[in-house]
Amino acid sequence: MKKRIAALTVALSLSIFGAAAACAAVAATAATPLAAPAATAPGATAPAPPAAAAAKAEVTPAKGAAAAPAKITPNRGITIGMFALIIAVTMGVVVWAAKKTQTASDFYTAGGGITGFQNGWAIAGDYMSAASFLGMSGLISLYGIDGFMYAVGPMFSFIAILLVIAEPCRNAGKYTLGDILSFRSSPKVVRGVAALSTVTVSIFYLIAQMVGAGKLMQMLLNIPYKVSVIGVGALMVAYVVFGGMKATTWVQIIKASLLMGATTVLCLLVAIKAGFNPVSFFTDVVNSSAIQEHVRMNVLKDVVAKPGVDYGQRFMEPGLFLKSPLDQISLGLAWALGAAGLPHILMRFFTVPSAKDARKSIIIALFLNSTFFFMISVIGFGAALYLTPQAISAVDKGGNMATLLLAQHMGGGPGSLGGDIFLAFICAVAFATILAVVSGLVLAASAAIAHDVYVNIIKDGKADQHLQVKVARITSLFVGTSAIVMGLMAEKENVVALVALAFAVAASGNFPVVMLSLFWRKFNTAGIVSGLVVGTVSALALVMVSPVMTYPKKIAADARKVVDTLEKKQAGGAVLAEKEVQALVKSRAEYAKNKNGTSMVGLDAPIFPLKNPGIVSVPLGFMAAFFGCLLFRERRAEEMFDEIDVRQNTGIGIAKAAEH
Amino acid sequence: MSEKPQWEAIAKHSSFIELKRKKRNFLFSWWIISTIYYLLLPVISGYFPEAFRVKVIGPINFGYLFILSQFVMAIGVAIYYAHVANKTFDRLTKQLLDALK
Repeated sequence: MKKRIAALTVALSLSIFGAAAACAAVAATAATPLAAPAATAPGATAPAPPAAAAAKAEVTPAKGAAAAPAKITPNRGITIGMFALIIAVTMGVVVWAAKKTQTASDFYTAGGGITGFQNGWAIAGDYMSAASFLGMSGLISLYGIDGFMYAVGPMFSFIAILLVIAEPCRNAGKYTLGDILSFRSSPKVVRGVAALSTVTVSIFYLIAQMVGAGKLMQMLLNIPYKVSVIGVGALMVAYVVFGGMKATTWVQIIKASLLMGATTVLCLLVAIKAGFNPVSFFTDVVNSSAIQEHVRMNVLKDVVAKPGVDYGQRFMEPGLFLKSPLDQISLGLAWALGAAGLPHILMRFFTVPSAKDARKSIIIALFLNSTFFFMISVIGFGAALYLTPQAISAVDKGGNMATLLLAQHMGGGPGSLGGDIFLAFICAVAFATILAVVSGLVLAASAAIAHDVYVNIIKDGKADQHLQVKVARITSLFVGTSAIVMGLMAEKENVVALVALAFAVAASGNFPVVMLSLFWRKFNTAGIVSGLVVGTVSALALVMVSPVMTYPKKIAADARKVVDTLEKKQAGGAVLAEKEVQALVKSRAEYAKNKNGTSMVGLDAPIFPLKNPGIVSVPLGFMAAFFGCLLFRERRAEEMFDEIDVRQNTGIGIAKAAEH
Repeated sequence: MSEKPQWEAIAKHSSFIELKRKKRNFLFSWWIISTIYYLLLPVISGYFPEAFRVKVIGPINFGYLFILSQFVMAIGVAIYYAHVANKTFDRLTKQLLDALK
């Protein structure tokens, strides 16, 4: 059955690529600038967005670059067909997995039957989220090298996992964070706190993904936000409740293969167009007048060009997006340590039979991810060069459509068959990506509740396999439904911060206590509890008072500035352009609405200056764990250290995945 | 079922002590070295951005190459670790297990 899935996936990918590549080859010979003004974009059923006006008025694409429509227009028929195909394939996997999921170990760890190679793809898949696939290339296409720098963080996080976390955890633990931590400490207290932390981290990540899914579907297919969120949620619940870890692992593997395939093809197309010559490619980027104008006007906001500034080269220099060095270091710390503390990643180590397989899977995941992020960078720069940053940001301010637009362009352009197929495929892959990631998150949160809290705390560890599986399924249903509800509620919120927050909490709360449990003789219950609580709470609290939250008074102040400038212009006798009149009206309204508001915690302005709390909360977490432990010494914990020390170093007594 | 392993006894075994010592030295040193190298990225780009601007080949500057080197470093560390783990750690572990039988 597995071979059939693999064959099907490969066949599917190859036929898509074959079709798209063929069309691209045809289109490449007729590579003239395509003029596709937004007003006549084919098949646009949605109302013309304000971007259409912008595309006509200010933003003129440079000569020799293709003009993309201001709204991305996938061919609905083909796209929905692709979606249906991917859903069908993955549902098939779920049905197959459901038949094989009988015991708790099946449900949580796929019975330990995943090989190192397969697990490597699954873990890589967890990292290749829609945010990396779409968001990072978008960042690079709009801000240049800062986006590439941003990609190093998630890639590097594998090193911490590889060297100090993966093998020891597999040797010492079973399913969850709670299993590892409760080894030589008071199980009930520790499991309770660990479960709380796991659920918190997973929920943040989940909300961000659900909102992202809703918005993506809305943008691509005009499916209303609420419908998309419920649709994605329902599928995710089905995957987890029926298929458990087996289903989520295989869905991740399939999605990772599709994503790597799609990215490789897109990257190759860019490379071919650039003649495989990086020097000439980047020279073109730097010399592109569209990019130069974008950097000058939109990013640096120099209305009059400053003499001696090479705006094109500026695109290759840091500082266009990431501005504060301390913030970057903070973010870097969160990335480097946070992934090693993410519960849904930790769970993946237990799906393989031994520590050596865990090692192999991390190495494979690292290879896959580094290649992936490098290719994304090529795609990002390619999108900037061939589509122009102005066109990309016209469709979506954050640049999230860059990859999709490039796929459409490379396939032959909007409206062409190749373009439509390729675009539809990439959309469907982005959809699968979100589905796979949310399934893993739901599973991790459910494991914490069902396994740690219910089975071990409430039922004292005594529950037969059938009961455990039943509880696990019911919990997953509950968690998944809550995720849907929260996704619906969070439609208007700024969820980008939530993923960074999840990483910060994992880095400050989970990572220190896992490390100290495994490596420090004196570590005990008090240390675990203090570390988890202080790390998590400090990360949360600092974010609540950081610039990441919405501060109405700041919005009002910015709006006030716009109003003042425009009113002054008006008073001076000038006639405002239509766009400026619109801006004036909008800013006045924004000002009135926001001038008396406060942030969610009642602040006018942020107290903590950094967007990421890592640089403060991680040391705090470590220190709390350290001092908490020393204040309340525990003989038993110290005596039991030998056991966990031997286990984690050698694998003696390793819990077979089929035991529990 | 075979008797429960005597953890304290194993912990005192010379083979185990050697394995543990070698592992700790290797893993922690390389973890710290690579983390420092990684953190150099935000430090240099934030506090010494001129360094990143130095052009090396055409418009490709030191910054771009330094970022690329991070990828190389990560892959390099992974490969090196796999090599050492296979050659040394796994061998020592097997030695220990044989000695315990």
